[in-house]
Amino acid sequence: MASEERTKEVFAKLKEAVVEYDEDMSKEYAQIALDEDINPNDAIFDGLVSGMQEVGKLFDAQEYFVPELLMCADALYAGLDILKPHVKQMDLGVKGSVVIGTVEGDVHDIGKNIVKMMFDVAGFQVYDLGRDVPLDKFVEEQMKTESDLVCLSAMMTTTMSGMQKVIKDLKEKNPDVKIMIGGAPVSSDIADKFGADGYADNANNALKDAINMIGSLKKMKDEAEGKA
Amino acid sequence: METGLKIYLLELGATVVGFARVDEALQGDIAHLRRAVSIGVDRKLNEDTVSLLSALQSRAAARLKSDGYRYLIIPPDSDRISDTCISKLYELFSHKVAATSSGLGWIGKNGLLISEQYGPGLTFTTVLTDAPLVPDEPVNSSRCGNCTLCVVHCPAQAIKGVNWSRSEPLRPLVDHDRCRAQKVGTRRVEHKPNCGLCINICPYGRKSPYRGNISNNDLEEHRCPSIK
Repeated sequence: MASEERTKEVFAKLKEAVVEYDEDMSKEYAQIALDEDINPNDAIFDGLVSGMQEVGKLFDAQEYFVPELLMCADALYAGLDILKPHVKQMDLGVKGSVVIGTVEGDVHDIGKNIVKMMFDVAGFQVYDLGRDVPLDKFVEEQMKTESDLVCLSAMMTTTMSGMQKVIKDLKEKNPDVKIMIGGAPVSSDIADKFGADGYADNANNALKDAINMIGSLKKMKDEAEGKA
Repeated sequence: METGLKIYLLELGATVVGFARVDEALQGDIAHLRRAVSIGVDRKLNEDTVSLLSALQSRAAARLKSDGYRYLIIPPDSDRISDTCISKLYELFSHKVAATSSGLGWIGKNGLLISEQYGPGLTFTTVLTDAPLVPDEPVNSSRCGNCTLCVVHCPAQAIKGVNWSRSEPLRPLVDHDRCRAQKVGTRRVEHKPNCGLCINICPYGRKSPYRGNISNNDLEEHRCPSIK
């Protein structure tokens, strides 16, 4: 078991790896965390996730643009892939599985991937249908996987209307399923009108929201463990 | 720093390096990256070549980053990578645009990037950056002239025989369906992965005793030293 000081150092390095979008460093310190018996949950949240929160701030301040944000996300995944198999199931009060995808006709999926990352970090089982997904596929996949949550994304007004149909079909088949929609043309009015349970509006906000949501997960984890 | 970066990459094993002004070719999330560093090596595309190019571009990126500039690496085999977050941005840019814009060559009738000195056998990779590199003079039109060697010898008759020009970027040069069908056929019969005839037959950069001795006359009459 590593000393408290050493543990903090490893967390700081994991954070730095994400902020500096350094995949090799992220892998290296994720492995060090395992080798030195550091709790992988903590390494994810106090290292990788705390780095992504910093990235969110840099993105807000326009120090980082979309390419940097995506490279940081890849650095986070590089470490997460090593740590995740060793994570004991977290009890955050939320868990389960989620179906996610960009609706038919739409090939924009940067926002969707960042949102997916949030679910990956939180320990959800993620069924990623990718982009340009036929509308029926969402309903089919939800039924098959019995997922609690379905996330739909559209970047163009022309493809957005497809979401309304998916929501209607999903609610008909399974009234309990929670549906989140996101993408540039989505507003709270549209979310209400379509019958969605949650929404994220323009792409930048969707990215920020996703990062904020990782932050709130971290808080929930701390609370669950009685740290906060 | 411009010549410094070029010399650095050439010393590390690049065959050609050029800088391009790409303001007009970029949009959206990468519009702020106004320069492209095009790196070519005189090797056919295989795993070793990909790792050499990846190493070269990582070194270039590390150097740009340490000088305080942003960058985006477009890997050599970008079309095969789809499992990372950053890979969503790859399709926004092509290696050939970087290479022609930085004056390393033109697009031949065979649809390949042709270097005056090395011919169509180079493999390229690109790093986009916001560093104010002094751009090289672009090549804006084909220097294939009346040569039709690749057109005549293409076993699939896929090459249309059109001269490329930057002002007509959408004009098709090659019937890709035919080319692909031919490659699939060769693979089945000869167990060779590729056809490559249009590379080997090109008089530019041909690796023969005649290399460098091709006069315009040879090209005009498409009478080539080794082909009677």
